[in-house]
Amino acid sequence: MSAVAMHTDGHHHDDHGHHKETFISKYIFSMDHKMISKQFLITGIIMGTIGMLMSLVFRLQLAYPDTKFPIFETILGEWGKGGKLDPNFYLALITIHGTIMVFFVLTAGLSGTFSNLLIPLQVGARDMASPFMNMLSYWFFFTSSVIMICSLFVQGGPASAGWTIYPPLSALPKAIPGSGTGMTLWLVSMIMFIVSSLLGGINYVATVVNMRTKGMKMTRMPLTIWAFTFTAILGILSFPVLFGGSLLLVFDRSFGTSFYLNEIPADLAGGIERVGGSPILFQHLFWFLGHPEVYIILLPALGITSEVIATNARKPIFGYRAMIGSIIAIAILSFIVWGHHMFITGMNPFLGSVFMLGTLIIAVPSAVKTFNYLGTLWQGNLRLNPQMMFAIGLVSFFISGGLTGIFLGNAALDINLHDSYFVVAHFHLVMGSAAIFGMLCGIYHWYPKMFGRTMNESLGHIHFWMTIVSAYCVFFPMHFMGLAGVPRRYYAFTAYDQFNVFVDMNKFITYAAFIGGIAQFIFLFNFFYSMFKGKKAVQNPWESNTLEWTTPVKHLHGNWPGEIPHVYRWPYDYSVPGHESDFIPQTTPDEGQLDPLSEPKAVPAPERKKVPTLEKEEAVLFSVVKRWLGFAQ
Amino acid sequence: MKHLKIKASFVLMIAMLLFSSLSVFAQDMNEEAAEAAQSTASNINWLIAGIAILLVFIIGMVFDILSKVGDVQKKPIINWGRINANLALVFLVVGLAATVWEFMVHGKLTLFALPAASAHAQEYDNMFMITLALTGVVFVITQILLFWYTYKYKENLKRKALHYPDNHKLELIWTIIPTFVLTILVVRGLIVWNHMTSSKSENAMNIEVFGYQFAWNARYSGADNKLGRYDFRQMGVVNALGVDSTKEFAGDDIITSELHIPVNRDIYLHFRAKDVIHSAYLPHFRVQMNVVPGLPTKFSFTPTLTTNEMRVKLDNPNFDYILLCNKICGSAHYRMKMKVIVDSEEEFEKWIKQQPALTAKGTETNNAFSFKIKNSPLASN
Repeated sequence: MSAVAMHTDGHHHDDHGHHKETFISKYIFSMDHKMISKQFLITGIIMGTIGMLMSLVFRLQLAYPDTKFPIFETILGEWGKGGKLDPNFYLALITIHGTIMVFFVLTAGLSGTFSNLLIPLQVGARDMASPFMNMLSYWFFFTSSVIMICSLFVQGGPASAGWTIYPPLSALPKAIPGSGTGMTLWLVSMIMFIVSSLLGGINYVATVVNMRTKGMKMTRMPLTIWAFTFTAILGILSFPVLFGGSLLLVFDRSFGTSFYLNEIPADLAGGIERVGGSPILFQHLFWFLGHPEVYIILLPALGITSEVIATNARKPIFGYRAMIGSIIAIAILSFIVWGHHMFITGMNPFLGSVFMLGTLIIAVPSAVKTFNYLGTLWQGNLRLNPQMMFAIGLVSFFISGGLTGIFLGNAALDINLHDSYFVVAHFHLVMGSAAIFGMLCGIYHWYPKMFGRTMNESLGHIHFWMTIVSAYCVFFPMHFMGLAGVPRRYYAFTAYDQFNVFVDMNKFITYAAFIGGIAQFIFLFNFFYSMFKGKKAVQNPWESNTLEWTTPVKHLHGNWPGEIPHVYRWPYDYSVPGHESDFIPQTTPDEGQLDPLSEPKAVPAPERKKVPTLEKEEAVLFSVVKRWLGFAQ
Repeated sequence: MKHLKIKASFVLMIAMLLFSSLSVFAQDMNEEAAEAAQSTASNINWLIAGIAILLVFIIGMVFDILSKVGDVQKKPIINWGRINANLALVFLVVGLAATVWEFMVHGKLTLFALPAASAHAQEYDNMFMITLALTGVVFVITQILLFWYTYKYKENLKRKALHYPDNHKLELIWTIIPTFVLTILVVRGLIVWNHMTSSKSENAMNIEVFGYQFAWNARYSGADNKLGRYDFRQMGVVNALGVDSTKEFAGDDIITSELHIPVNRDIYLHFRAKDVIHSAYLPHFRVQMNVVPGLPTKFSFTPTLTTNEMRVKLDNPNFDYILLCNKICGSAHYRMKMKVIVDSEEEFEKWIKQQPALTAKGTETNNAFSFKIKNSPLASN
């Protein structure tokens, strides 16, 4: 890095001539944020594929609980003896599926990839504040992934207490085979993961706060950067709590303490009677991370879509300041609502009321974000390329899944919905599908920046339509199963006559899941094929305003060959009236704007009469609504 | 054009390979399941899956070839903008229709289609329906706008997007309206929550629900309506629940493996677990509470329909209430359940007197006692 730092003063130089990079320093122990982001992405994609294949295995089990699948014995060995999935292994599958998807794909794979790629590029920095810490962050993540995968092969199987690993189930090896070595490895892997996440998070915040280029005021940062910053802050504040919680669980498991155990007889707990702890304490510690974690997953996805929607609608994002405000509001509120996962743990009903209030308040900034997206689309000129479609899909999932959150956040309604399939449907839509769509949207959008080529568009569209249809077909019917009282994490429903009515639905969901799985293989093919054979990208393929598109297509260590460009305006000057092209990059000064810190000429407000350029049918609708609300005729 | 052919044949090859392996797999399946009755059905399903995969590949190939031809002619043949806009509209219409269909067809399978079985269930259901109505309106409006805009404002090179960065009035409106709606939901929700969690009258019947891997027990407090103390060190020693019958209040306690409860009587359930966390879920009564080792939890409710009444109402002689485990607890989690029977007061009296208490003396006391409580809240009203 020092070599790069010396060249920041604007002398023209050819970066490649100065220092030769070895294969190892360029591709493996790289300290270049762009390479690290690719490493995060590809590790995330591999983990995601594993997680997805796991879901297909247990979907088969749920659809055909009585059928034998010889293939299970082939791929799972003793866990699929005679073609029947072992119930313990079913629990292991759902546990590892959840863990991989939540932490390895949607936390590291999503925010690790795009924070690394975009923070230096979009704020105008040569690299992260500490490239070395950044490298460490990836390698801790890599180690953690390897340990998690290794845990699949140990005696007793991987952790099987659900991804929330509530003790005593996760603390007592006698209670379930997966709580032996598998659980220990899970905890070790998670501790590594937390270290990775903290190293990354501190770096992101430090870079955004200190290393913005001249003129990149906070109010000129793209919404992606706002989202990544607050994601990092959330992570820094909440992950250490899980770190502590996991350590205490390690003590309970290995050293005979009783932080989370009470009234457990000696014969169940390795010969030592456990008294005095509280299993609920673990849930508090877990969800103190666990709930912000939901927003650690969601905020980057929302940031990415904000950027993609504005770019492809050729319109400024509607309500930029409101969007920032809602990110901040969501970030703060997410810390005081963790108890809504625990309404029925026997907590004091008054405490439940407080958590319920906080939870439902979060719906307000979320609603503001949705309406702002709709406001951005309105009267836009939408380029419906794959990333835009995925962004629109995200908004659709965010609405569908967000609204069911209003049911679950209501403590009273939660009593009968808790841990039912309604919950499964809710979080797979709002957190799973929406965040995955945000990630895919980001991949299609920034692929040219990462690999210098573009992905195949037709395959992208097929991928999108198959994925959105299958995701809705998988998760929408699950709401009804939940409302009928079907519990989640059940190996089979054959013991319950009243759930027989859902046999067909379960089969339908499995077919849909397989179609979704096939769609992801189309994506994988497209992703790896385009890396080598895709169309060569131009410098600014999407005609976007932000800084990353001012760097050359071919990656340089240090990002810009010459001086770092200065920033003269906010990133959303699309379709400004009076300008010929429909976008003005942030680096373009206004006429007479010499100092980057001074504000550009204000865009003349659309004339008073022109503002409500409503189309006819909308005008009618709005006037009806207005009259109904009691406004003047 | 040459590499095009190579590529096309490559794709076709993969498709064939996938299809053939899948059909072999399907055949395997078929042989395995030959004894099983639904073999033909599952075989057809696999065939459909195989055909679907093949179709996808063919479609992908067609698009690829078309776009290549378009590149050669310098004029795109497929306009994905227009296709996507139209598909968005189709998706919206079909999606909304499917949603309505789901509510009509699968809505009947939910608990809300059954008569409310406990005193608070009606209030719960009302709360649910209000939330459903409000969120339903928002769902329909926002999804329509989202996909309609996608359709309507698709790229048109003759048009420029409207530069419209903000409108504070509009933003204020769409902040205040959700706030207002949510206030209604919060206030109503808190009222319902308080009703559901506040403890019931003093003469509620105390019953302990004991969960362990992988079954449930119920312990009735007997004539004194007080549960005897337990000691977790005695679990499996004196009896499964660790209740020493010589201790105070314990003698008349009754341990059963079915939960019988009298109708229209306040029931106060005390939950206890032996090993790991379970969750006692009684969906028909809108009752659920975690069962935590070493941490007593409670829930009180009043059943209002006996099992027999429910059977008549549903015209289903096999209907039974159920208590199932709803917190992951181990390999047989999915089978951990207990039958719940709501009896009329007479039936309950008869049933409980047939059950032996922990001590012979306790059984005698119970038999001499009338479990019918005249001043039950519903009777006294």
